Amino acid sequence: MNRIVRTNLFDITGLFLLAAAFLLLTLKLDVGDVLPSSFLNLNTIFISILIEAFPFVLIGVLIAGVIQIFVTEEHIQRWIPQSRTKAIIMSCVVGALFPACECGIVPIVRRLVAKGVPLYAAIGFMLTGPLINPIVIASTYMAFGNNASIAGWRMGLGFAVALLVAFLVSFFFRGHQFKQALMSTQTIPTNRKKEPFTQRFFSMLTHSIDEFFDMAKFLIFGAFLAAAVQTYMPAKSLLEAGDGPFSSIAVMMGLAYVLSLCSEADAFIGSSFNSIFPTPSVLAFLIFGPMIDLKNTLMMLSVFRAKFVFSVLFFVATTVFLSIVLVQSFL
Amino acid sequence: MVFQTQQAVRAAILLLFTVLIFKFHYTGEITMFINPKYIGLSQIASVLFLILFFIQITRIWEKKTHHHHHDHECSHNHDCDHNHDHGNTPITLKKVISYVIIAFPLVTGFTIPAKVLDSSIAEKKGGMAVITGKSETSSTDETAQEELVQPSDTEEVLPNPYGEITQEEMNSLVQKLKQSDPINMDDYVYYLNYEEISKDVASYKGREITLKGFVYKEEGFQSDQLVISRFLITHCVADASIIGFLTQFDEAATLDKDTWVEATGVLDVTTYNGTEMPFIKITDWKTIEQPSEPYLFPLNVKIL
Repeated sequence: MNRIVRTNLFDITGLFLLAAAFLLLTLKLDVGDVLPSSFLNLNTIFISILIEAFPFVLIGVLIAGVIQIFVTEEHIQRWIPQSRTKAIIMSCVVGALFPACECGIVPIVRRLVAKGVPLYAAIGFMLTGPLINPIVIASTYMAFGNNASIAGWRMGLGFAVALLVAFLVSFFFRGHQFKQALMSTQTIPTNRKKEPFTQRFFSMLTHSIDEFFDMAKFLIFGAFLAAAVQTYMPAKSLLEAGDGPFSSIAVMMGLAYVLSLCSEADAFIGSSFNSIFPTPSVLAFLIFGPMIDLKNTLMMLSVFRAKFVFSVLFFVATTVFLSIVLVQSFL
Repeated sequence: MVFQTQQAVRAAILLLFTVLIFKFHYTGEITMFINPKYIGLSQIASVLFLILFFIQITRIWEKKTHHHHHDHECSHNHDCDHNHDHGNTPITLKKVISYVIIAFPLVTGFTIPAKVLDSSIAEKKGGMAVITGKSETSSTDETAQEELVQPSDTEEVLPNPYGEITQEEMNSLVQKLKQSDPINMDDYVYYLNYEEISKDVASYKGREITLKGFVYKEEGFQSDQLVISRFLITHCVADASIIGFLTQFDEAATLDKDTWVEATGVLDVTTYNGTEMPFIKITDWKTIEQPSEPYLFPLNVKIL
């Protein structure tokens, strides 16, 4: 008897959970009436950000799992150029070719750094990944009245900013900058090759699950904050704050940061501000948002030391701001 | 065989996310959250959650507890390349908090119904500042290629709702708008028409227009003015932006915010806070039920 129970334990637990879940589907819970309507708005925005982000996050953690199990330190050493400049340029180009979203990229970056990719190269990849890809180019092109110049500037200037920030990181930071708690034993080489493929594939999936749970709390917290900002912070007060040419750049960057929009969807929002703010400020919004935002900062904080995260934030913010000021006259 | 509470909690969370997304699809609530164009993507998420759940349940009953302290030896089938939590370490308050955070959207997702965004959000998103703003945007646009389209093309059937349309199809839609009087602001072409009209208000002056939307009012409106507005969703409701037409009719004062109306009127030009913008003198209107698809989605033009 005991043995039968034991061998079927997985099935029993699984069945039990499945049954409980179906019960939830049939149950009609509704506490919508007792809550203030602003909270209902907040919740709708919150859930929608999560539904939008989950596919990208899941694909991100799966890729992270693949890197963890199938890519070895030797591969990385062979692929990444020894020269710092070459490594940075390569990482930014790979990021530009890689269609990522800012929610999915943090776990990938973390895995790459753990596998020995230099930190500066990983940051270059992280910055261009969400910003430069076909979907973003297309949506920007459409949102600005089928005008290619904004989309062009967004990609070009964004690429330059990413290169610069990657160089800054390479000057100021050594090592992997992981949080203390995560630092132990990650350079011990693995002898995965001996294990059969199915075993490795299974490890890849369990690894992805752990990665998901590491990221999820920060993603969810960030999404909630972003939704709260949208529900309670009037854009009007922001709009009034940004009437000078410099303050309007800062305001638009601040807005991009707190709204935490997906890079594939922010172009239409950006274009709706096109008349209230001068074009350079809107461009700052479009370049800064995909590179780093509230949701993304929280996810980075789950991996890297706070000092490093805020330095990257500072580097990105200042280079975006200064480069926009520089090119202002051409726009 | 030892029951691993944390692994079980993780399995349950993965399954509940699967079910939550499935529920939104099943009830059709999903379009209250995201642009239907991305439905496929969220279904993929649901399936991935389910797969991860089936992987995760195998970890609920471990043969023995092994507190995986990272500094100890790397025996058995565990590689030591890890630098994160496996869910095998003892439960601490910090962990409880993180599971509570992760469970939070599950609780609100299952118990609080999706709400259609209302005028309070429209106000937070900038309201009239954004609507008047639209009229000033890019009037430098290309008009040259639109002339190429033959008028005979304009009677074609609308292309599939959420797919991409070609540049020619879009041009013919614009051409159709230019010739139509009355103009019907159908959901499918609403945003396209809205942009075209905003770009060149003067040439549409005097035409009859029919539209629907919810009532939005702001400080500074006269008592007979209101905006008939809609939300445009690119990807998810977090990126909703408000669009709409300023209208004028005597009974406007009696209508509350967020009431849905269908109205017919004559397009005119007005100046609001120093900006020229379209304006509709309403001739006929009625209140309607909120449509089942309250949001608008931009057309996707193929560019490659």
